[in-house]
Amino acid sequence: MIPLNIIPWDLSVIPSRFFLFSEAAWYTLQITTLAVLFGLIFGLIVALGRLSSNKILSSLSRAYIFLIRGTPLLVQLFIIYYGLTSIVTIDPIPSAVIALGVHNAAYIAEIFRGSIQSIHYGQMEAARSLGMSKGKAMWRIILPQAFKRAVPSLGNQLIIALKDSSLASTIAVPELMLRGRQMGSSTFMYMEMFIIVGIWYLLMTSVLSYSIRAIEKKLQVSDRDNN
Amino acid sequence: MTTTNEVTIKNKPRKKKTVLKNAPYLRIEKINKWYGDNHVLKNISLDVKKGEVVVIIGASGSGKSTLLRCVNFLEYTKNGKIYIEGKKISKNEAQINKTRQDLGMVFQHFNLFPHMNVLGNVMEGLVHVKKVDKKTAKEMALALLDQVGLSDKPDVYPSMISGGQKQRVAIARALAMDPKIMLFDEPTSALDPELVGEVLSVMTDLAKRGMTMLVVTHEMWFAREVADRVIYMDEGVIIEESTPEEMFTNPAHERTQAFLKQILPQG
Repeated sequence: MIPLNIIPWDLSVIPSRFFLFSEAAWYTLQITTLAVLFGLIFGLIVALGRLSSNKILSSLSRAYIFLIRGTPLLVQLFIIYYGLTSIVTIDPIPSAVIALGVHNAAYIAEIFRGSIQSIHYGQMEAARSLGMSKGKAMWRIILPQAFKRAVPSLGNQLIIALKDSSLASTIAVPELMLRGRQMGSSTFMYMEMFIIVGIWYLLMTSVLSYSIRAIEKKLQVSDRDNN
Repeated sequence: MTTTNEVTIKNKPRKKKTVLKNAPYLRIEKINKWYGDNHVLKNISLDVKKGEVVVIIGASGSGKSTLLRCVNFLEYTKNGKIYIEGKKISKNEAQINKTRQDLGMVFQHFNLFPHMNVLGNVMEGLVHVKKVDKKTAKEMALALLDQVGLSDKPDVYPSMISGGQKQRVAIARALAMDPKIMLFDEPTSALDPELVGEVLSVMTDLAKRGMTMLVVTHEMWFAREVADRVIYMDEGVIIEESTPEEMFTNPAHERTQAFLKQILPQG
């Protein structure tokens, strides 16, 4: 038997302090949701631009992905929050949503591009041979299939986005990570507080991965096997 | 081949409107197609009359599928012309989309939409291209599924039916657009041998109903029994064109003879 007091932390405070983080967790969830929604819409537009036969559109999209994927999220966040102040001042929360959204759009664009390209060209040909325009064929025939293939990767990206939102703590967004730092420094129970933060993240990511798996299953109705 | 009964509106060299008198239903005129340096279609011209079933045979790589795809503008040709009911099809996007509704295409690999059930596949063009209301479209689609012998499977997804059934759904999907001409690109080549018959019988039935058909196939039985005219292609050229009887009993050209000797069972 190891006596419990050999551990230098008071883990018993975890349950009692746990719900002091609820509001912060709510901020984390909101920032992530808004950012990912933006990322999905803008990412789809960038993906379609990248695949467009229009040279200008495709180079613009390519440049966007190149710049955003090639630089750290923290740099992007600071450019929006601190860098832009000489032109426009954006509050911490909108700054975080914009930075995280812009960042995720680049990754989501690549996910969509890959899944669109993975759809056999015969699908486009069949749609066009019915007299559909390119856009309509994309919307009715290609995208529903591509989206289904993208779901696992999108889920992955959603989880990454949720964890990345912790960077917003650096610009004073009152989300989980900042709450953990504040609670830690006021109580000197850093370990306990960051364990609480960790559990909150784990809870949220668990719910997310469970939901993603449920969506995947639901989308599999039209497949007999996993082709 | 190249009759010059064209009436051209003059003084407008850039925008010629061409209408053919006594036009064939489908006219393919001087189609050339290159893949890089590979000249796969060499100045092909072909007329198809209304209600006619024309079967194109030839070894793989002879350009017969490419020809069919050019008719439907799935492949672009530089200077070839295509006329439907005497009207020249210009190469602008909107007109091509419209023209494709008149040309039902059936593919070797079916290309059914896997995210829609059988009924949805047949209704898709009706609802989203022809803008038929859903209720009417459903009735039309069910009637077409009945015509191809699949009225019992409207709710099933493509992944759960056999290749022969898939191809029959694909035929129904193409027929839903009420096409003037049906194009078949090796419709039975991807099928298990025992499933070929059901597709050919649907096609035979279609021919009997008076559908104009342009068929690329290796099924010599179909060519012999159903075709009004058989065309033999080799290396991007039409070598020979005659009635099935002529073609199979007394082919004129040496290359045709060699091809048929290879492909037909002896005796």
